[in-house]
Amino acid sequence: MKKDFPDSSSGTPVLCLEKLTIGYGDNVVLKDVDFCVNPGDIVTVLGGSGCGKSTLLKAMIGLLPPTKGRIFLRGEEISGNVSGRALAETRKRIGVLFQSAALIGSLTIAENVALPIIEFSKAPPKMVHDIVRLKLEMVKLGGFGDYFPSDLSGGMKKRAGLARAMALDPEILFCDEPSSGLDPVTSAEMDQLLLELNESLGITMVVITHDLPSIMTISDWSIMLDRSVRGIIAKGPPDELQKSPDPRVHAFFHRQPTPED
Amino acid sequence: MEGGLPFEVRRPSAGEYILVFNAPLSYDNAGAVWEGLNHFLREENPSSLVVDLSATPRIDSAGIALLRAIQRICERRRLELRFESIPPSALHFLTLIEKKEPPAPEKPPLTTARLITLLGFLVLHAWDEVVGFYRFCREFIVYSIRDLHHTRRFRWNEMLYYLQLTGANAMSIVFLLSFLLGLVMAFQAAVQLRQFGANIYVADLLSLAITRELAPVFTAIIVAGRSGSAFAAEIGTMKVNEELDALEVMGFNLAEFITMPKVIALMIAGPLLTMWANFSGIMGGIVVGIFTLDLTAYGFMAEIFSVLSMKDIITGLIKSEIFAMLVGLIGCFRGFETGTGADSVGRQTTSAVVSGIFAIIFADAIFTVIFHYLGW
Repeated sequence: MKKDFPDSSSGTPVLCLEKLTIGYGDNVVLKDVDFCVNPGDIVTVLGGSGCGKSTLLKAMIGLLPPTKGRIFLRGEEISGNVSGRALAETRKRIGVLFQSAALIGSLTIAENVALPIIEFSKAPPKMVHDIVRLKLEMVKLGGFGDYFPSDLSGGMKKRAGLARAMALDPEILFCDEPSSGLDPVTSAEMDQLLLELNESLGITMVVITHDLPSIMTISDWSIMLDRSVRGIIAKGPPDELQKSPDPRVHAFFHRQPTPED
Repeated sequence: MEGGLPFEVRRPSAGEYILVFNAPLSYDNAGAVWEGLNHFLREENPSSLVVDLSATPRIDSAGIALLRAIQRICERRRLELRFESIPPSALHFLTLIEKKEPPAPEKPPLTTARLITLLGFLVLHAWDEVVGFYRFCREFIVYSIRDLHHTRRFRWNEMLYYLQLTGANAMSIVFLLSFLLGLVMAFQAAVQLRQFGANIYVADLLSLAITRELAPVFTAIIVAGRSGSAFAAEIGTMKVNEELDALEVMGFNLAEFITMPKVIALMIAGPLLTMWANFSGIMGGIVVGIFTLDLTAYGFMAEIFSVLSMKDIITGLIKSEIFAMLVGLIGCFRGFETGTGADSVGRQTTSAVVSGIFAIIFADAIFTVIFHYLGW
């Protein structure tokens, strides 16, 4: 049976964006963005360079307040006039894998992963070591805890960043271009890892990417943004989007130059 | 729940206990469960333990770590342990951390031979630094001489930008600190000299100390803190971002492109700031002279002009020129020495200030000896 793209009426979505407008000053980057993410789904946000993917991510993780519209995490509004304390509490419920992995260079990999656990959880100190080992084993970095980020390859850094993003078992994981800068094999391994984590932990994911093989491999749903309309031009399962008659979507999925706006 | 424990305890036979966890094993209650479990083990003396997870709604990462901790405690006490109805995913994660940890690399013991080896490495490292700095300075001098013949190659705009940054923008802080320095020095001198009725000699002491020693050194230390560190941080960040590699690959010489405008700007700004510090330090002294020694501004200045010769001012300016060059070169050198990562930039910036100040004091000592033998 064909599934409809989730919206705010479909059960209790983990994340819901309602008529979201985002920009910097007078410059509106995205307007009226609407979508929801159901528990356990992997949603990819696609689009060419400059279409607002990273801006959307910044809004979703609370780094950029939206100009208009609302963001809900499990039905609870996390945008608008939210106090600093409430925002800090929300941030403990989300995990973010940054494009550069953003590991702290002066800390070892294990210390990087332990940081949020020590600071923001009630886990007994004796167990922190085991939780860190578990997270590192999950991302296949067992035995690398004592290494520094500068000792690791790009792919390993991303996996370490993923372990840190998942340190507190977040309700939703945001990944910013997880396969950027990786070779095709490492990129495929990263996709496989995201799928495994999604399957074993049931973790909901929003992945910002423009890597076509990744999109086809990991997405339950995809949302395509476009600069010309400053918003969503298509949403649905990626294999359906691939057949879309819209010339902009077609151009993206078939690696063709964008038709003139 | 029994006796306030966060789990239910059943005792089907003597020595055998079943712990039933009805609440989630999560970050929120792992601590309480762990404390309860330790309390239970202190009070009871089980010979075997069954952990029943059939009614546990959720087990997260902290829950897995808790199960692993229970395993460890049972291994240590030689208790028989069985997990009942453990969810397959939890079992999978538990086996992941059950795997033996790779042994931590052993640290060799600190023997005399090892101490000598470490000392040797330190000496070699220091020698490498000296050789590296010598080569760096040599390259700077070679390109400076070359650009004297090809002035069009020199990046004038860049140099003017750094002149403003390191010179004009530092004027207020140099004025304030030198003024206060002159004020404090004159005040301390006045306390002593007043006892002998030698108030007027405060002007002599102050003007000589400021122009020959304090203004050049003090200004150079301010410049090391302001500009030397800024150069190191700027170049270090460029290195981390691979901008230096890009410039080198494009065919630019880094000494000419990066170092020269900065160091030449500092070599112009250094003496000018020192003159400015001479002026402001003496101003501080005059204020003390007028308000605490009953001297007039004219009398104070007349005494200064009678004792101060051009030689005193010039020796100070020569020092400041060399100090500025050292601070600039060390700042840039430290920037180029940056490794990878933000922490390396921080380390090199600190090092730029520390080595800069060390170089200033060391050079000042050498100048003192040289000027003494030259009779300046």
